[in-house]
Amino acid sequence: MRLSKAFILLLSVMFLGITVLTGCSSRTTGGTETAGTSTEQPQTTRTVKHELEEITITGTPSRIVVLEFSFIDALASLGISPVGIADDNDPSLIIPEVKQKIGTYTSVGSRYETNLELISSLQPDLIIADLSRHKEIYDKLTKIAPTIVVKSLGADYKSNLEAFPVIAEAVGASDKAKQLISDHQKRMEELKKRIPADEKRTVLPAVASSTGFFAHTNAAYAGSLLEQLGYKDAIQGTEAYPKVTLEQLVTADPDILFIMKSGDKTVIDEWKSNPLWTNLKAVKNGQIHYVERNAWSLSRGLIAAETIADQALQLLYSGSK
Amino acid sequence: MKASSFIKPIMLALLGCSLLAAGILLSISFGAADIRMAEVWNAITNPEPTKEQLIVRTLRLPRALGSALIGASLAVAGALMQAVTRNPLASPQIFGINAGASLVVVGSIVLFPFLSPPALVYFAFAGAALGGGLVYSFGSAGGQSPVKLALAGTAVSLLLAALTEGLVVLHDHQTQTVLFWLAGAVDGVSWSDVHTLLPWSLLGLLVAAGISRSMTLLGLGDDVAHGLGQRVQRARLLAGVAVILLAGSSVAVAGPIGFIGLVIPHIVRRMVGSDYRMVIPFAALFGAVLLVYADLASRYISYPFESPVGIVTAALGAPFFLYLIHKGRMASQ
Repeated sequence: MRLSKAFILLLSVMFLGITVLTGCSSRTTGGTETAGTSTEQPQTTRTVKHELEEITITGTPSRIVVLEFSFIDALASLGISPVGIADDNDPSLIIPEVKQKIGTYTSVGSRYETNLELISSLQPDLIIADLSRHKEIYDKLTKIAPTIVVKSLGADYKSNLEAFPVIAEAVGASDKAKQLISDHQKRMEELKKRIPADEKRTVLPAVASSTGFFAHTNAAYAGSLLEQLGYKDAIQGTEAYPKVTLEQLVTADPDILFIMKSGDKTVIDEWKSNPLWTNLKAVKNGQIHYVERNAWSLSRGLIAAETIADQALQLLYSGSK
Repeated sequence: MKASSFIKPIMLALLGCSLLAAGILLSISFGAADIRMAEVWNAITNPEPTKEQLIVRTLRLPRALGSALIGASLAVAGALMQAVTRNPLASPQIFGINAGASLVVVGSIVLFPFLSPPALVYFAFAGAALGGGLVYSFGSAGGQSPVKLALAGTAVSLLLAALTEGLVVLHDHQTQTVLFWLAGAVDGVSWSDVHTLLPWSLLGLLVAAGISRSMTLLGLGDDVAHGLGQRVQRARLLAGVAVILLAGSSVAVAGPIGFIGLVIPHIVRRMVGSDYRMVIPFAALFGAVLLVYADLASRYISYPFESPVGIVTAALGAPFFLYLIHKGRMASQ
């Protein structure tokens, strides 16, 4: 990479952070131990198997730092507030449905360029990281605090649901998670019942930005969630968010488009003047729906899933349109 | 005798033109949508507003013509740079022109997201001038040498690319889509992009053709050029302006597509010699041919999804770059 200088700087800062932190963390463990022996509850120890290895976690983590939005959703569902969140320095990216369930937190900066110094300054006792973004820095994260790595970026509905019990296990809330998942599945079944049995229309969630149109396939979160509800994603593939041209969109010709706009000016502004766009089934039938990217693509969790499903059904069957 | 010296260029021109025509025809015939050849032909000769014909006319045709124009522009920009600097490694990519234009374009996308491509062109010109100017001033300080220029070019390009990446990283959730563009892509080239590109490319190509004689003389060395009464500085300045117009407008529309400006002038000089009255038009022709075919190939890397055409030109051009360096080393030994 071309950022090697910055990286070396980061490494040295991180090294410093670790040196400080090893002192801190040993102190904290000492503290909890005394608390455990002197008072009522003995500390429980659990092994948690995450994407990279099996780790042992003692007690109930209370200072949790999360490095992806989906983990906030997971913790919020369990009624836990993270102390630190990699929110790309933009709190507005967290959807209100999730935000109201968590308390104040400290931003640890970008999800892409992890700020290890900031993370360690929060003295976390658990870090939740994403497989695709943070695999390379796992060793560094474990030196700050016990870290679990699960699938988040580019993960579909099913993998996201599978990651939830792992997170719950790590925070010592497995029983609650089981209950939540079963509630969630019931809720999704209820929503599914509201969809007419003869619904055959294809859907396509997509992000439109100034540089391109990015389809969310059946491998993406929103796409797989809609398939779970019984729709078919108009663009199938193994890649979650491929860039598609107007030609491909016209070829796929989805019946329903859920568009997440990224920025005010998007490629659609230009496509709109092309008769191919106006002849899309979704355009002709008034089935273009603009939805929030934060809920439909970034959040990815139980809360977001129900929000997406609610919104989709509202948009498609409320009849006001 | 005189007649025979015309045969080779005429044959080459015929070859280039038929390759280009075939390439454009293939480019409008194949893509994500499956369209019959007869329908492609009808789209041009007997236009009707069917879906297939619209795909050919409004999407594939501007993409093919835009690729041809960008390929021609980049190749001629490279040829001019190689002539002015007398450096075989000179090209918009290696001498910081592309990197400078990219930085300013990405910066303006981040800062002024409402700007459209016609306005971005001016930012790209400024960036191209910045990148090229930095490289030229660093590379010329204390006497010019080909190696110094190439080193300055590499250093400045890396610096500018690092700044661009920094911008992308810092604005991750807004500009992650910029990454595709940064590899160099023509998949989204529309008629309005062609209109944006056309005046600048044509102007650049005309200027290049106009100074082609001076470029040949520059190739003989400043002393000779001076001796022959050439106004060296003026020709150089015009060449610089042409490079900025050609490379800047290309980057504004398609991102920094690499290696065409490096590879094509070498191939063309090998075919027609070092008379720039021949090199410039043939570089334009074969630059267009290369990018049209590279774009066609890029559609099949992860079919039916698009891949940036820059990947293909890099795959073709990088080995050639190494070959040039190797050849240079052999010659200096």
